[in-house]
Amino acid sequence: MGERKATVAAEVGLHARPAATFVQMAMKAPMDVTVARSSGGDPINGKSILQIMALDVRKGEEIVIRAEGDGSEEILDRLADIASTP
Amino acid sequence: MTTVLAPVEGAAVGLAAVPDPVFSAGMVGPGTAIDPSRGPGEAVAPITGKIMKLHPHAYVIVGDDGRGVLVHLGIDTVQLKGRGFRLLAAEGDRVSAGQPVVAWDPTEIEAGGRSPVCPVVALDALDSAVTALAEGTVRAGDELFQWT
Repeated sequence: MGERKATVAAEVGLHARPAATFVQMAMKAPMDVTVARSSGGDPINGKSILQIMALDVRKGEEIVIRAEGDGSEEILDRLADIASTP
Repeated sequence: MTTVLAPVEGAAVGLAAVPDPVFSAGMVGPGTAIDPSRGPGEAVAPITGKIMKLHPHAYVIVGDDGRGVLVHLGIDTVQLKGRGFRLLAAEGDRVSAGQPVVAWDPTEIEAGGRSPVCPVVALDALDSAVTALAEGTVRAGDELFQWT
């Protein structure tokens, strides 16, 4: 399974604008996309803004994004970019 | 179906009127926005459920069916770091629709140069699932829209 690690750089964490942008990109993926804290915990559905908000990732925390299948590498790159954009 | 109540008193103006493209373009989800009446007021729970996230400037209530509704009190209000807001409930609390969650004063938000407009958004909902949007004057606790 493909994965990327990204350190969340937005001041507000993975909320509001970064969360909405992330989910919009994840929704474009034909395959499942999951997000978890690198430090552990259950992965959540990366296409759900509710679950992303519930995960409550703060600035400076590292997440791991996973997806598998055709085109997943490109999607993972783009999602990691969004998560690590200040 | 979920009936979503107006969290604050004011004028229902639609998401397109929100001065933040993340909300006005519907990126967070479908719903509407309320231009709140100025002066001290209390923002209430739009649905019955659990307070999944409670920030001073925004909260998410999740109903028993798993549906989440976001209420955002003003735009760019995260920058206030809680100034001007007083919590009337705690994260994890179970609340009834119409129960006060945060006390605030839109006048203060506006005086600080920010828009006090409040997006009310159905999270993870299709645009077509939100119907019967209220228009014009609403009071806190009035029906704001239906989530089918």
